[in-house]
Amino acid sequence: MISKERLVIVDGVRTPFSRMGSKLATLGADELGRIATQALLSKTDLDPSLIDEVIFGCVGQPADAMNIGRVIALRAGIPEHVPAITVHRNCASGAEAITQAYEKMVAGRGDIFVVGGTESMSQYPLFFSYETAGKFAALAKAKTLSARLTAFSKFGFKDFFNPRIALKLGLTDPVCGLNMGETAELVGREAGISRKEQDAFAADSHLKALNARERLAEEITPAYVPPEFEKAMTEDNGPRTDSTPEKLAKLRPVFERDTGTVTAGNASQVTDGAVALLVMSEHKAQELGYDPLGILTGYAYAACDPKRMGLGPVYAINKAEQVTGLGLHDADLIEINEAFAAQVLGCVHAAGSKEFAREFLNRDSALGEIPMEKLNVNGGSIALGHPVGATGARLALTSLKELKRRDAKRAVVSACVGGGQGFALWLERSQP
Amino acid sequence: MSNNIQLSYKEDLAILTFDREGSSANIFDRDTLDELSGHLDTIEAHSSLTGLMLRSAKEKIFIAGADISQFIQITDPQEVRDLARKGQETFARIGDLPFPSVAAIHGQALGGGCEIALACDYRLASPDKVTKIGLPEINLGILPAWGGSVRLPKLIGLPKALDIILAGKTVPAYPAWKRGMIDQLCPREHFERIARIWIGKGKARPKGDWKTSNALAKGLIASKVKPMLQKKTHGHYPAPFKALEVCLQAVSKPREAGFKLEQDALAELMQTDVCQNLVKIFFLQERAKKFKIDETEVPPVEKIAVIGAGVMGAGIAQWNATRGTSVILKDINAEQVNKGMASAGKILGAALKRRIFTKAEAQAAFDRITPATEDVSFKKVDLVIEAATENMDLKKKIFVGLDAQSGEDTLLATNTSALSISEIAETLSDPSRMIGIHYFNPVHKMQLVELVLGKQTSPTHAQRALSFIQKSGKLPVVVQDSPGFLVNRVLMPYLMEAGRMVEAGADVEKIDQCILNFGMPMGPLRLIDEVGIDVSHHVSNFFSSTFGERMPEVKGLQKLLEAGMLGRKSGKGFYLYSKDKKSSPRPNPDASSLIRTSGDKFTIDYETGVKESLVALMINEAAMCLEEGVVHAPEDVDFGMIFGTGFAPFRGGPMRYADTWGASNVVATLEHMEGVKISELLLTHAKDDTTFYPTKDAS
Repeated sequence: MISKERLVIVDGVRTPFSRMGSKLATLGADELGRIATQALLSKTDLDPSLIDEVIFGCVGQPADAMNIGRVIALRAGIPEHVPAITVHRNCASGAEAITQAYEKMVAGRGDIFVVGGTESMSQYPLFFSYETAGKFAALAKAKTLSARLTAFSKFGFKDFFNPRIALKLGLTDPVCGLNMGETAELVGREAGISRKEQDAFAADSHLKALNARERLAEEITPAYVPPEFEKAMTEDNGPRTDSTPEKLAKLRPVFERDTGTVTAGNASQVTDGAVALLVMSEHKAQELGYDPLGILTGYAYAACDPKRMGLGPVYAINKAEQVTGLGLHDADLIEINEAFAAQVLGCVHAAGSKEFAREFLNRDSALGEIPMEKLNVNGGSIALGHPVGATGARLALTSLKELKRRDAKRAVVSACVGGGQGFALWLERSQP
Repeated sequence: MSNNIQLSYKEDLAILTFDREGSSANIFDRDTLDELSGHLDTIEAHSSLTGLMLRSAKEKIFIAGADISQFIQITDPQEVRDLARKGQETFARIGDLPFPSVAAIHGQALGGGCEIALACDYRLASPDKVTKIGLPEINLGILPAWGGSVRLPKLIGLPKALDIILAGKTVPAYPAWKRGMIDQLCPREHFERIARIWIGKGKARPKGDWKTSNALAKGLIASKVKPMLQKKTHGHYPAPFKALEVCLQAVSKPREAGFKLEQDALAELMQTDVCQNLVKIFFLQERAKKFKIDETEVPPVEKIAVIGAGVMGAGIAQWNATRGTSVILKDINAEQVNKGMASAGKILGAALKRRIFTKAEAQAAFDRITPATEDVSFKKVDLVIEAATENMDLKKKIFVGLDAQSGEDTLLATNTSALSISEIAETLSDPSRMIGIHYFNPVHKMQLVELVLGKQTSPTHAQRALSFIQKSGKLPVVVQDSPGFLVNRVLMPYLMEAGRMVEAGADVEKIDQCILNFGMPMGPLRLIDEVGIDVSHHVSNFFSSTFGERMPEVKGLQKLLEAGMLGRKSGKGFYLYSKDKKSSPRPNPDASSLIRTSGDKFTIDYETGVKESLVALMINEAAMCLEEGVVHAPEDVDFGMIFGTGFAPFRGGPMRYADTWGASNVVATLEHMEGVKISELLLTHAKDDTTFYPTKDAS
């Protein structure tokens, strides 16, 4: 890295992750972000007027909370004078928020940042088509009764009952035309990942997440859900005790119905949730007397073929090695976001492949081995869920807490990104 | 001559700017009325004017009404009539100008301030939060008598006008516009430009709503409104009836005849004790809003934490969050916190439905509450209010923790309703920052807060807490640390005696009814049910153990508790409560027979014996509080009891009522009762034939 100043992650908090349509479905992404941010502020006891900027990642920004970063900041009680932005790099948005804080810090644009990610996938809207919108505009313009009737007569059944579904649109690559699931099928197919391997990986993710309940509780703040306040939500509701390989084997493929291998069971869950992290320059943390969770020691974003976006982490980890000199063997913990089991296993395969390294990474040796006992040790998005804008920050938070628990040194955190990208963050436990 | 109104001209527009010297409010006293009259002379003599605009230079007040302290001293009926006429005639000159007049209202336009606006041809109002328009005279036991009772019904029709006048309502700008009291909402920066547009329309045509002012409609309205008033006032308050009569008659009469009716009604009402007492309460309220314990400048309280998310804790959090304070609401686990968040959320939801808040305001209030379950730091919190269960050991434990978690200047308060502040303070390294802030249930409805000073509470810290309470819109009464403080202590002997009367065979409903007739908002047994038999039992035991023989425990409560009758919350107590909220509770014969200890017939007369004994017990305990220095002045007692329990306001409070009734009569009543220790102070007053308040007090 260019500057000597390092960015430390002081602490972080997240909401429980809640399957689409379940407990947190009624809360907007801004509300989720506010809950996490408020809890972070009270946990760290930071004077919020010291914050230089608030940076939030969000993929499907709600129409009623544009620049959601600012909405979250104000609603969380951060003073008006603190500016805020929203960042978007698809599933890397939460990581982007962290690295932008770093970039602003080295550029001398501030020392203290509240960053994070938020997503309410339950509240992704349904759209009217462009044609239907045109008909509404014509109706609004019509002045006389007869003009209004004429305008109204243009509407048909299709206008109202064939909405464009934001969730579906968002998960489809507009350039290569493939749905994210289809890209996973491609990656899995080419790497020869069987359905059985994918299901076993998924079942393992659930098992790890269930075993990690207590550990994950350390990063979760309960959510209290208006207007009914039925019960406080204190833990993720994604992990299932019945996600056994046998049960998973019964599910039908979603994207390639007859021949495919990717099912709802071995893909990440569509989920609502938010994460907030307090990050700052190392000297500020010292000055304020914090004992940070860890340090961001390096990172990279890399890009690849959109059709094989699932392999993004391999490219990003490779690029990060060039920047930091740190390779997979340096990592005590490895996170590869579980967008799809096929894609994670595809990455493991590609990382271990000399041919892949030569052909795509421009290097002679394989990227390195990814030992399963270091990979996603507390489960991943298949079990916990994948609120796309929040996941990047969640991965950083979870692995930093795990480094601390294990008293281990380094973690590399990565994810594939729709559109053909990947990110990798190198995190290091700070030495007290 | 006073200098409270400036007359200026802008081209052909005359502008009267109300800007009372040395005050943040505009009010009408005699001098100001004279000054206004002088300006009108000038305006009338001016030949080239086309319009007049009235406005205020104050930030929050248009005109707050008449100077009550000046006018309340006038009781001579003729003098009162003259005063009414003076206002009526002066205001009428504005409407009678040959050109149109516009009142441009920003801030409160109350009473006389509203009436002068009504006398103008047109009214503009800024949509700001501070702008409020209304006629609150009824609350002082009088009626609008500067033309308001005459003009408002003509302007917006009888039904809507009565809704304002009879309830003494004040409404924000938007509803005032919806009701037709305002012609246009307009940002204050545009007042002059928009006023000119209205002036361009010419004089306002006299309005009148024949649909509601014909004889048939009036008869119908009277027959509907009178029973409602009777139900609300129990016949104790004459002003609404009088106002109704004036409005009904004046609406179909010429203006001057209506004015005459207002004058006569005002003269009559100002003679009544009710009016005198209500005005005194008004001043007590003003006193509570302003008084200070210490003159030193104290830092504001901007961030608080509430420990305990029960009904009280959640209520305290909700109230203060809506007033712009950040609140941490903490309890031991997420389920407890969830309950608290739910009750805060529900109060906000109900307020939103009733349009007390906009959606954005309700959301902002909710957002200001940060829930917490784990140990969070209170170093940056200005005030912590503990609202956990009433248990000394638990509270001490909490405060030991707070001592370490809070900042050096953090005020530490408990919401205990009975436990000793000074004892809790012993757990602190610096007991001077310990204080009691006792809210009443339900927090969002009860205005009173008892500020309890512990033995070591420092005046500066007390002042900071006091100023916090005042700024949050609550009314404080300062009391010394003593069991039960003021309000609960005065109430307790009365509640316990009512329970004992039931044990002796008295009828539950009849006891409550005679107390309702006295003017309390609720009978004692109904109140016990509302509070909860369990809580009442707990408090009653606390009092008997604290005060010994003179407050023996009510054994019946224990029996009810064992039978699972917890009062309203369990659907059964002294009354039976059905789920249907509309049906009123019926007496529960099982409760009475369960606790009845005497087989004899209860022979005491309710309207005299029962009522007098119960009221005398309150007076006696209040006198003891004064004697012991729990509070310093009879004003404190009356204020606390009226705002804390709804003690019959028209009677002026227990001390004022004792003076009216006569100390010797109170003592005589108490002497008839068994086991009552009579206050020395009361005995002295009875012996010397003196009163709690200085006689001939002029305040």
